Amino acid sequence: MTAASAQQSRPAAKRAGLLKRFLREPQLPFIAVLTVVMWVGFAITTPSYGSFNGIFALGTTLTTVGLASLGLTVAIIAGEIDLSIGTNAALSSVIVVQLSDTTGAVVAVLIGVTVSALVGAFNGFGIAKLRVSSLMFTVGMLTVLWGAARIVSGERTVTLTDFAVGDWLKTRWWIFSPTLAIVLLAVVAVAVFLRYHKYGREIYAVGGARKEAIAAGISLTRPMVISFMIAGACAGLAGALVGQRGGSASPDGLQAILLTGTTAAFVGGASIRGGRGSGFGALFGAIAVAVLSVGLSFNSTPQYLQSGWIGALLVTVVSIEILAQRLDIANTRREVLAKVSGTRVRQGPAPPADSG
Amino acid sequence: MSAAPTAPTQPTNTGNEPPSRTVLQSLVDRTGSSLALGLTVVLLVVFVFGAIDTDNFLTPGNLRVVLRTAAFVGILATGLTFVTISGNFFLLSLNEMAMIASVSFVTFVAMGFGFVGALLAVLAIAAVVGALQGIIVGLGGNPIVVTLGAAGVLFALASAFSNNEVLPMVRPHPAEWIGSGLMLGVPAITWTFILVVIVGDLVMRFSRFGLTVTLLGANKEAGKLTGLNPLRNAIAVFAIASCTGALVGVLLSAQLSQGGVELFADAVGPGGDLTIGAIAAVMVGGTAIHGGEGSVLRSALGAVFIAAINNMMVLRGFSNGPRLLFVGLAVVLGVTVYALSRRGQS
Repeated sequence: MTAASAQQSRPAAKRAGLLKRFLREPQLPFIAVLTVVMWVGFAITTPSYGSFNGIFALGTTLTTVGLASLGLTVAIIAGEIDLSIGTNAALSSVIVVQLSDTTGAVVAVLIGVTVSALVGAFNGFGIAKLRVSSLMFTVGMLTVLWGAARIVSGERTVTLTDFAVGDWLKTRWWIFSPTLAIVLLAVVAVAVFLRYHKYGREIYAVGGARKEAIAAGISLTRPMVISFMIAGACAGLAGALVGQRGGSASPDGLQAILLTGTTAAFVGGASIRGGRGSGFGALFGAIAVAVLSVGLSFNSTPQYLQSGWIGALLVTVVSIEILAQRLDIANTRREVLAKVSGTRVRQGPAPPADSG
Repeated sequence: MSAAPTAPTQPTNTGNEPPSRTVLQSLVDRTGSSLALGLTVVLLVVFVFGAIDTDNFLTPGNLRVVLRTAAFVGILATGLTFVTISGNFFLLSLNEMAMIASVSFVTFVAMGFGFVGALLAVLAIAAVVGALQGIIVGLGGNPIVVTLGAAGVLFALASAFSNNEVLPMVRPHPAEWIGSGLMLGVPAITWTFILVVIVGDLVMRFSRFGLTVTLLGANKEAGKLTGLNPLRNAIAVFAIASCTGALVGVLLSAQLSQGGVELFADAVGPGGDLTIGAIAAVMVGGTAIHGGEGSVLRSALGAVFIAAINNMMVLRGFSNGPRLLFVGLAVVLGVTVYALSRRGQS
């Protein structure tokens, strides 16, 4: 390739590269715009939505949606899915509510998170060692954990005897609350881990290019255990915070976080093909879903209709991804064909000696 | 100077795994299938022991109860088996499809449709709902995610349409014969279950459609090369599974003489949610999640097995929690056995 044609193709290549990147991740800018539009729309049409109360409500919803989204994103990046986060969170919530009176608030939360994280580690270990689909394994674990939650709670909704225990979570610092702060901390921690730590990057490798990663000698066990442990810990944290803040926990509760969390994860850019997604993307997606959910709540939409809207959002996002994927394949095919036919034409004279 | 090509090296352990784990690993690898066999034998022994030891379990009356409990999940498992064998994993919207069917059926009956008319109308709705999901999945969407979203939408539609109320059916209503009727002492619902399983199994094993489903599940590319259409196949299997979901909705409404979302919101099946129960039955029955192999009959047996365990536990006085736990453990163990038996083969 001569220097002149190289200069010619560089801006073209840059344009093509940007377009390709936008096609591959159309979500984040689009989702940000969509979220702002939704928020503005709700703020205009619903009285208290744009007030501090509204934003505070957003923060409260972000507890479950944000943590579920974060945990699921990590599992999805690893190329798997964790269907058990709902009942895992329920188990944690009943443990935490029952322990809070004896061990104090913070210790109870830590215990709940630890139990859920250990469950997650067990999930990851089983999936890695048995080389079995996470779908199958976590469906079984979903039921096991539900049963465990019912056993631990004695088949009933448990409540705090001393409601003051949950007060630390209900304080308000401007628009922030301790729960929101904890969630944001978790997002930052996971995001940093995923991007900068060796084991975090391993999770991407194992998700996006599993055969190659295994051939390169990466043991499947460690990234599986770590990613499912993170998913479990996030679920446990969500359950613990919700239980303490609300003062009660039901063993049948929190199962809806699977739908909201999955939607938020996909809205935030996690790809079912694995190897794609980020901690901050998870937060983005969670904010979008929370804006929608709280907006619907403030409009007195019943809970069942909310799950309808969220389900519709999930299907829409998936359809967009399919479309983008097909466009991407079509574009790549066109590029490759162009390159192939291009070099055939230029192969007439001998190539110059400047290419090394 | 290019290096001489080196012989391909065996994948070695990276050295930071403790040696004991690789011994365990190789042990599992080598004896995979015998370990699976051992576990299955243990499970069967425990089951048989439980059957004998539990009072009143092995009575004809109780066995009829087991079959009747298994009927709903079993019918769902039949439809779900088509989806799983086709390589499309699972349909997470079965429970919600039953909700829609229940609400629609009761409404149609109230509007004056007879049993056949109402049933056909409901099945038509189910086929469309299933086909829509099948289209998105066939075009490349992940089945779990798409049907999870669809479940949310269907739940909202069913609740909105019924105003979140329970809709009663005035008795006598045209569906009573199937809801609470008996034939030869066996409930009509159980006969429906048996019929659905027989038809499903025959279609799966001997019809051209069934063979298409199996081939596309086993090797989609090969199927495409022989002219089969994965998109049409996905639409068909999702429509079938949704129809079984609708059938269960109709049957339960007929049995309880009412329709509504609430009927399905509780722990109806032994695993809790009907969808989870159906998935558990298919997995315990040994149908492979990657598609291409499996059996409707085995899924139905899986449903019966789970219902039997649940029934045994009820007879022994276990409450809901431990029952859920054991059913979940049965699924996890089933998955383990399946994974181990696969390893022994490679």
